[in-house]
Amino acid sequence: MSIVEAKNVKYAYKSKDEDGKEKEPVFALDDVSIDALEGEFIAILGHNGSGKSTFAKQLNALLVPDEGTVFIAGMDTSEDEHTLEIRKTAGMVFQNPDNQMVASVVEEEVGFGPENIGVPTDEIWERVENALNAVGMYAYRESNPSRLSGGQKQRVAIAGILAMLPKCIVLDEPTAMLDPKGRRDVLEVLHRLCDEQGVTIILITHNMEEVIGADRIFVMDKGKVVISGTPAEIFSNVEEMQRLRLDVPEVTKLAHELKNRGIKLRDGILTAQELVEELKGCNIIAQQ
Amino acid sequence: MFKDITLGQFYPADSVIHRLDPRVKLAGTLIYIITLFIGKSFFMYIPAGVFLVSVIILSKVPPSFVIRGVKPIIPLIIISAVFNLILTPGNALVSFWIINITSEGIYMAIFMIVRLLFLITGASILTLTTTPTKLTDGIEKGLRFLTVFKVPVHEIAMMMSIALRFIPILVEETDKIKKAQMARGADFESGNIIKRAKAMIPLLVPLFVSAFRRAGDLAMAMEARCYHGSEGRSRMKPLVYARRDFIAYSIILGYLALMIVLRVFGI
Repeated sequence: MSIVEAKNVKYAYKSKDEDGKEKEPVFALDDVSIDALEGEFIAILGHNGSGKSTFAKQLNALLVPDEGTVFIAGMDTSEDEHTLEIRKTAGMVFQNPDNQMVASVVEEEVGFGPENIGVPTDEIWERVENALNAVGMYAYRESNPSRLSGGQKQRVAIAGILAMLPKCIVLDEPTAMLDPKGRRDVLEVLHRLCDEQGVTIILITHNMEEVIGADRIFVMDKGKVVISGTPAEIFSNVEEMQRLRLDVPEVTKLAHELKNRGIKLRDGILTAQELVEELKGCNIIAQQ
Repeated sequence: MFKDITLGQFYPADSVIHRLDPRVKLAGTLIYIITLFIGKSFFMYIPAGVFLVSVIILSKVPPSFVIRGVKPIIPLIIISAVFNLILTPGNALVSFWIINITSEGIYMAIFMIVRLLFLITGASILTLTTTPTKLTDGIEKGLRFLTVFKVPVHEIAMMMSIALRFIPILVEETDKIKKAQMARGADFESGNIIKRAKAMIPLLVPLFVSAFRRAGDLAMAMEARCYHGSEGRSRMKPLVYARRDFIAYSIILGYLALMIVLRVFGI
């Protein structure tokens, strides 16, 4: 079943020029259609200004499409009476971990969401404990968030969403402000949530390495979805990706270059392991 | 210079004061401040001091931490002391030009210093031992009756707790901007007061811009987490009075009674 279904979404930020006249609208989203099945790991790739963050806000009813429709678990985001239910179903984690924390104690921070939706006290505690365990931050439940590292803060933010028991988590560049270790920790948590608890993950990023493990990828450019498919399909198209000013993983690039030099390799090699296997098949690696 | 602000910061510890209901602590702080102002003589500060010191000891907050919170207020204390010193009429001890320093003035100045020190320390104990969320809950529940007069109690309490939560973040940011501006040749230390105040502009403008940006981000994040005011909201840590809270109330009331008695008998 589709948990997220965006159809032909158009959205423009309206701005006025100096005379107060409305400028020609620039479409941040132009005919975007993206869907996600329950339990899928979806990645949306794009560089700055591609409209990916605008799209993320559509999924949480923070923005409503000008044209087209967005359905979250069958609910139309443009209908006000569904807003709370939609935000409960599709939680959202933002880029800057400091700017999305309300409380000064980790457990209170995680409890903020359930409090807002009126969960009874005993159940809040249970949810907070489960959510913090799921992201491996239970030991820090009484700490002050401002004393945590970036990766830890972001995991607490994820726990804050998890405690609302969402079916889907939308993450808008959650790793952009993190160091490599924090980035790995956050990604690991996301994959675990997807695999073990069946939470649909929609990860918005511009980092190639992060999307390799995704089920499907949508690449956005200038408000449009330009390519979509599995990671192998996407990255087999190295020239197209470079035209869109998006990098491909180093290993894929190497494989692509080797192929251009006449070595017969298949397209869409994503990991070093795969490349080694493939090269073995070509009998190029010297026998030791 | 901003790192020292402990006023409004929480110090995590496991103490009887930390566990008290925030409403008790709010009422206690209020009563304590009132008693500081009903006192007329130094003698009145002995019970106030005993009360304050015992609370600090019970709270397990290191005294050095409490004292650090007073530091940024020192200029304010000095200014009010100076005004008291030169503007109190009475027997002139020293007089030159238009300034008369009187014995009453000296007395009043010292009196004012002690009063302000006690006041700041007492108020900072409240925030040092109470998490902003609990403080908010306390204010919200303790002042709920004001909603009858259309006072948005929940909203005010929420704003307060967010302001407190962002103090350390903005402090850090101020330091960062300051260093960045210094690296570009900004000079915050030399010159007279006016020149130094002007030098603060390149510090304050980016700070405000970023504070507004943060506010926008936070509002969106709160909305995304279903925040929609006090309506239909439940509590993770609901406020329920325990036995220790009633004991604390009795102690506070006893202290208030003592101070009133001392005042009435004019000691």
